[in-house]
Amino acid sequence: MKFSIKRSAFIQSLNTVSRAISSKTTIPILTGIKITADSEGLILTGSNADISIETQIKIDDAKNELVIEEEGSVVLTAGFFVSIVRKLPDEKMDLSVSNDLQTTIKSGQSEFTINGLNASNYPHLPEIDTDDSVTFSGDIFKEIIGQTVIAVSTQESRPILTGVHFELSAGKLLAVATDSHRLSQRSINFSGSDRDYNFIIPGKSLNELSRMIEEHQDLEMRIAENQVLFIFGDTFFYSRLLEGNYPDTSRLIPEESTTQVQLEAPTLLASIERASLLSHASRNNVVKLTITPSDGRIEITGDSPDVGTVEEELEPESVTGDELEISFNPDYVKDALHSFGKTMIEISFSSALRPFTLKPTEDGDSFIQLVTPVRTF
Amino acid sequence: MNNKELYTGFKNMESQTKLMLTRFSELREAMNEVLEKNSELEIENQHLRELLESRSKEDHNPKTQPQKTQKHSESRKTLEKLFNAGFHVCNQFYGKPRENGEGCMFCDEIINRK
Repeated sequence: MKFSIKRSAFIQSLNTVSRAISSKTTIPILTGIKITADSEGLILTGSNADISIETQIKIDDAKNELVIEEEGSVVLTAGFFVSIVRKLPDEKMDLSVSNDLQTTIKSGQSEFTINGLNASNYPHLPEIDTDDSVTFSGDIFKEIIGQTVIAVSTQESRPILTGVHFELSAGKLLAVATDSHRLSQRSINFSGSDRDYNFIIPGKSLNELSRMIEEHQDLEMRIAENQVLFIFGDTFFYSRLLEGNYPDTSRLIPEESTTQVQLEAPTLLASIERASLLSHASRNNVVKLTITPSDGRIEITGDSPDVGTVEEELEPESVTGDELEISFNPDYVKDALHSFGKTMIEISFSSALRPFTLKPTEDGDSFIQLVTPVRTF
Repeated sequence: MNNKELYTGFKNMESQTKLMLTRFSELREAMNEVLEKNSELEIENQHLRELLESRSKEDHNPKTQPQKTQKHSESRKTLEKLFNAGFHVCNQFYGKPRENGEGCMFCDEIINRK
């Protein structure tokens, strides 16, 4: 294999596939990047057992300045190879692989020779040969990921809760995640598919995917038995799906409430962030919210026996219903409020022990966050 | 102490520490089981007492009908007690201890289901 390429274009693609590569893998060859040169260009592949990323550098794209002299493939240890390419002196670089897999990288006056691995030992990517694909707007999909992935569980005790549950049916796409302490649900109208889908994507995969989607980019999705493939630009992103049935979450969201508060999400966020400064120092990380509808006020308090206390009064847009005193983990509410951005939200409570909901006042049912309070007695 | 003794000393200590570690996790598991059993028995005991009480009441005035509707919420109460004792009662995590007294929306839904 032998080719020359513009270094900046190569680095960009290397960064893309490096996202999937972990140095802590049990399969040694997966610490490497697979590089294949064929008549259409270069294909770079990186993988850990869960995520695989493949990206193409096309020969007919003049920006890449790609010239392939000899086709072939090799696997190079990602850590070394990526750092070498980044530090090379010239704008262009040459790479050639001899028969014994010795790989020579040349750029300007500098020349590296590193040992490659045989590409035929590299695991095959999952094959997804299905005709039906669904296309999303990348911006919207990214938004959905950002809003739901905050609630996935980080504990492996219930693996299925470490993923986001997607349900596509009857012209609606519903995405739900919960770690049993909080839940986040987003739904959008979606008419891009006649078929129904029901699948669970690991939260970690979604985090990586979301970082890779560029603005205004379309996202094509294909689903197979236990794999999902996302195609955007010249990149293929494969992820394992979580197997099993996601618990029924439709009954978790309360429909009735006895106390309602409307206010700007950033105002409450800032206030809870202040209160959590002290609650974090305490053994039980709890912030208390006291709601007095007759005064139209709410009060946020936090205390840590060792450090001190904080009190803050807020005047929300509106406060209705019964008086209430409720305690919660401020980190859950902070995550939830972050996901709303600058919008007016309504928080609905039904009792000091039952979960409460946060949703935007406009178009309320399309985005719901649910948080369980903490018992303080 | 020569080098060899030092080496075997360390080796022994290592195996002892390993043994202790497994003992620790065994004990912790065992304690968990005992705790679980304990709260189950406590609730069972309370049940029996309640039953005894209602029986003796019935004996005194046998006219009162046993209330059918009560039965339903009774089992809910049991679940709630288990939950308050610090255990999950939901399908997802049944019987596992709740960490840091945090709520669980699956348990909540089961206890308060209409």
